[in-house]
Amino acid sequence: MLYDIVSSVSTVQDKLSSRFAYTTQQELTRHRRAITQAPNHPLPTYKLVVVGDGGVGKSAITIQFFQKMFVADYDPTIEDSYIQHTCVDDEFCVLDVLDTAGQEEFSAMREQYMRKGDGFMIVYSVTDPNSFKNVPNFFTQILRVKDRDEYPILLVANKVDLVHLRKISESEGRAMADRLNLPYMETSAKDPPQNIDGAFHEVVRIIRNHPKELSEDRRRRRPKCLIM
Amino acid sequence: MNFDAETSQPTWKLWGEEREEGAVYTIYLKKVRYQNPTKTLLLESDDERSHLEWETIRVKFIKAGTIEKLVNSLASDDGELESTFVNIFLATYRTFASPHHVLSLLIERYEYLVNNKETLSESMIEPHKKTVVSALHVWLDSYPEDFRDPPLHTCLRCLHSFTFTYLPKTELHIKATYRLERFLKECKQLDTTTFISDDYELVIANSPHSPYNFPNIAERHFAEQLTRMDRDVLRSMVAHQCLGAVWSKNKRAGSAPTVLATIDQFNAVSLRVISTVILAINSDRPRVIETWIDIAQELRVLKNFSSLKAIISGLQSNSVFRLKKTWHSVPRDKVELFQELARIFSEENNQWAQRKLLIREGTAKFADTFGHNDRHLQKIIQKQQSTMSKLNIGTIPYLGTFLTDLTMIDAATPDFLPDGLINFDKKRKEFEVLAQIKLLQGAANSYNITEDSVFDQWFHSILVLDDREAFRISCQIEPSDNIPSSCANSLIGTGKKQKYINYEHKKNDSISSNCSSKSLYGLSDDGLHSPNNSLDKQDSLLDLSSSSSSYSLQSFDMSLNGSNNTNILVKNSVNNSTFNTSSDFYIIRITVDADNVETDGVVLYKSIMLSNNERTPQVIRNAMLKFCIDDDPENYTLSQVLPDKEMILPMTANVYYAVNTEYDLNFLLRKKTWKNNTIPKK
Repeated sequence: MLYDIVSSVSTVQDKLSSRFAYTTQQELTRHRRAITQAPNHPLPTYKLVVVGDGGVGKSAITIQFFQKMFVADYDPTIEDSYIQHTCVDDEFCVLDVLDTAGQEEFSAMREQYMRKGDGFMIVYSVTDPNSFKNVPNFFTQILRVKDRDEYPILLVANKVDLVHLRKISESEGRAMADRLNLPYMETSAKDPPQNIDGAFHEVVRIIRNHPKELSEDRRRRRPKCLIM
Repeated sequence: MNFDAETSQPTWKLWGEEREEGAVYTIYLKKVRYQNPTKTLLLESDDERSHLEWETIRVKFIKAGTIEKLVNSLASDDGELESTFVNIFLATYRTFASPHHVLSLLIERYEYLVNNKETLSESMIEPHKKTVVSALHVWLDSYPEDFRDPPLHTCLRCLHSFTFTYLPKTELHIKATYRLERFLKECKQLDTTTFISDDYELVIANSPHSPYNFPNIAERHFAEQLTRMDRDVLRSMVAHQCLGAVWSKNKRAGSAPTVLATIDQFNAVSLRVISTVILAINSDRPRVIETWIDIAQELRVLKNFSSLKAIISGLQSNSVFRLKKTWHSVPRDKVELFQELARIFSEENNQWAQRKLLIREGTAKFADTFGHNDRHLQKIIQKQQSTMSKLNIGTIPYLGTFLTDLTMIDAATPDFLPDGLINFDKKRKEFEVLAQIKLLQGAANSYNITEDSVFDQWFHSILVLDDREAFRISCQIEPSDNIPSSCANSLIGTGKKQKYINYEHKKNDSISSNCSSKSLYGLSDDGLHSPNNSLDKQDSLLDLSSSSSSYSLQSFDMSLNGSNNTNILVKNSVNNSTFNTSSDFYIIRITVDADNVETDGVVLYKSIMLSNNERTPQVIRNAMLKFCIDDDPENYTLSQVLPDKEMILPMTANVYYAVNTEYDLNFLLRKKTWKNNTIPKK
C-alpha cells in the first residue's frame, strides 16, 4: 500500500518533470533559432529530404531524431519543429529536415519537394517488400528532378528491431545499395533507437563529400530564409 | 492542450496527476476572477461566493484510462455532459474501440443506473441518465456514418431496441426509428441505381465534344468549377479517417476512402496541368502555362488552397518545370505571380506561410493576406473586394499538411501508457487538428457555385501521363542540358556517366528496346505506367515520341545492353517519313556512313529530334550519342541525302532551317577523312 503511494507520487514527479522538459524544449528551440540566425557565424544549412513509401516509419525516424526525450509533449505545428543545430565530425551545421510522411499519396507534389533537397534518405521497411521494391523509383525520380547522374542519397533499412517480421535481409539491402551505388544503413526508431542520429549525420557527410557545384550557392542563401 | 502554464494562460496552473483504478487524471488549478459583485450576484443565495474577488477551483481532465473509464467520463462527477470531452471522444475513439463496443458500454451504463436505484441516490441517477441520452444524441447527429454499417445496421438496431425498451416515444427513439427506415430505404435504392448509373455514363459518352477549348477558357469559371469539385470531396470527407492510426497505417486496407478521394482529386488536377502543358503544341505551350497561372490566381481569391497547390505542384513538377525555353516565353508578370503563389506553399519553417494563412483566412469572408513582396497578389486581392462582395466564399485547405501533422503526432505519442491505459492525451492532441479540419469543412459549405456538367466532361476527358511518360515527352520538347555534358565526358574517354543514359526505340521493337524496357530491378518504364495512361489515343504524338530520341536515367540498362552495341537494325519497309510540319522540331533519320553498318541490304538508321535552334555541331553530337560513337564530334560531317546529291551542312548552320524539307529527312553522319582536308583540332 505504502509502496503504491510512493510509486504514484514518483510517477507524478516524472510527469511533472516531463512538463518542465517541454519548457526546456521551447528554450532549446529558441536557442537553435538564435544560432541559425547569428549573422556573424552563418552555419551551413543542409536541407534533408526523407522519402519512402507510406508506413515505413519515416515519421518515427524524424521524430526520434528531433524529439528524443521530449516525445511526450510533441507539437508538430511549431515553425521550427524540424530544424536542428547539429555537430557532425566536429563541424557544426543546421539540419533542416523535410519529411512529408502522410502525404505519400499526393504523388503529384513529390517532385516539387524533391527539388528542394541537398541530400536524401530513401527509407524502406525491412518488413515490407513493396517498400523495398519502390526504392529504385524514388532513386530515379530524385536523379531526374536533380538532372544529375548521382546525388547525395542514403539508403535506410528501417524497423530492423522487428527481427521476426523481417522480410528483406541485410544482404538484399546491401545488394540494392551497391546496384544504386548508395551507402546503406540499418535503423530502428523504437527504443532504444539504433543508428537514427548516425543516419542523419551520414547524410551530412555524404553532402559534404559531394562535389560542391551542386548546391553551393543555394546553401549560402538559405540561412537568410530562416529569418522570419 | 491550451492549458500549459507557459502559453500565456496565467489563470491555469498545472497541479499534478491523480490516479485511480483504471484512470489517470491531470489536475489543474484554475483561478476564477469574479467581476465586481453586481446586484444579481448578491441576490444569489451563495453569499460567501459573492464577496470573493477570485477563487481557485480544481479542474481535472482524464489523461489516460480504460475504455470503460473513458466512456464514464462523458459525464462529469455531477452528471453533467462534458461537451468538450464528448467531442474529442467521438472524433477519436475509433482508434481504440469499435462503435459497437462504445454503444454497448453506454447502454450498459444506462441500464446500471436504472437497475441500481437502491444503491444510487436519486439526485445522481437522473442527471447521469440524461447525460447518456445527450451523448447518444450528439453521436447520432455528428457521426451518422457510424450507425450506417450496411446491410445489417447492427449498431442502429441495437440503439433502436434500447430506446424502444427504456425510452419509448422520446426524441432519441423517434430519431433512431427514422434513421433505420431511411437506411433500409437507401439500401433498396442502391440496387436500382446501378442500372441508372450505367445509362447515365452512356449519355455522357455519347454527348458531343466539350465546348471548352483549353487554354481559351474563362479562368474564373474554371477556378469556380474546380472549387466545386474540391468542396464536394472535402464535404463528404470523414475527418477521423485522417488520424495517423487510420490514414498512415491502414490506408492500403481501404480504411480511409474519403481521404483518398480528396487526394485523388488533388492529383487529378495536377496531372491535368502537366498533361495539358506537355501535350500542347509548341506554340500554345506558354499560353497553357499562363492560363493555369491565371486559374491559380482565381483559386487564391476563392481561398481554394487545395487546387491552388495542385496547380503549383503540376507547374513545378519536373517535366514542366524543366522547360526553360517555354517558361521564357511566359510573360514576366505571370511568372512573378506564379512565384508569389508558390511562396504560399514554401516548406520553409514547417510550412509556416501556409499555416499562418489558414489561421488568418480559414473562416474569414475574403482572401486578404499577402507577403510584403507579393505585389501582384496585393493588387488582385484588393481588386476582389469590390467585385466579389456578392459571392459567398469558403475555404478549402490543402489537406496534406494536416495529414503530416497527424502522422507525426501518431508517431511521437504512444497509444497506451506503460500500464496499459489508453493514452487520451494523445486523442486531445489529435482532436486539435481534427477540429481545424472540421471547421474548414464547415467553411467550405459557404461556397455557392452552380454545377457545370460540361466542365466535368472536359475535366474527365483530359488524358493524363504518369511521371515517366511526361518526363520522356518533356525531354523531347527540350532536351536536357545535362546530356551534352555526359556526352562530352564519354567522348573524352571516361565513359562512366554514359551508363546512365538509355536509348529507346520502341517503334522498331528492336532487341535494344526490349532490353531497355526490362531492367533488372523493376526500374523499367513500363513498371510505372498507370493503367489509365491513354497516350495511344494521340496517334500523332505517339508517333513522335516513339520514333524520336528519348532517354531516361536508368542506370541498369547498359549493363544488359552491353557498353557500346545498341545499334538497331531496321527493315527498309518501315521507311516512311516522319516529320511534323506543325511543330517546332523535325524528326530526322540519320545513318552512319561507314563500312560496317550496311549488311545484306539492311540499313541502319536512328531517328533523332531536331529543334529549331540546333546548329550542326549539336546535331552531330546528338547523333553520335545516339549511335554510341565515342569520338570527337569535330571529326564528323553531317549531310542531307537528296535524290540526286548529298548536301553537306556547314558547321555554323542552323540545321532546322538549312534542311530541305521537300524531301525525306534522311541524313548521313560521316567521319571526316584526310582527303576532306580537315585536320581535327586538338
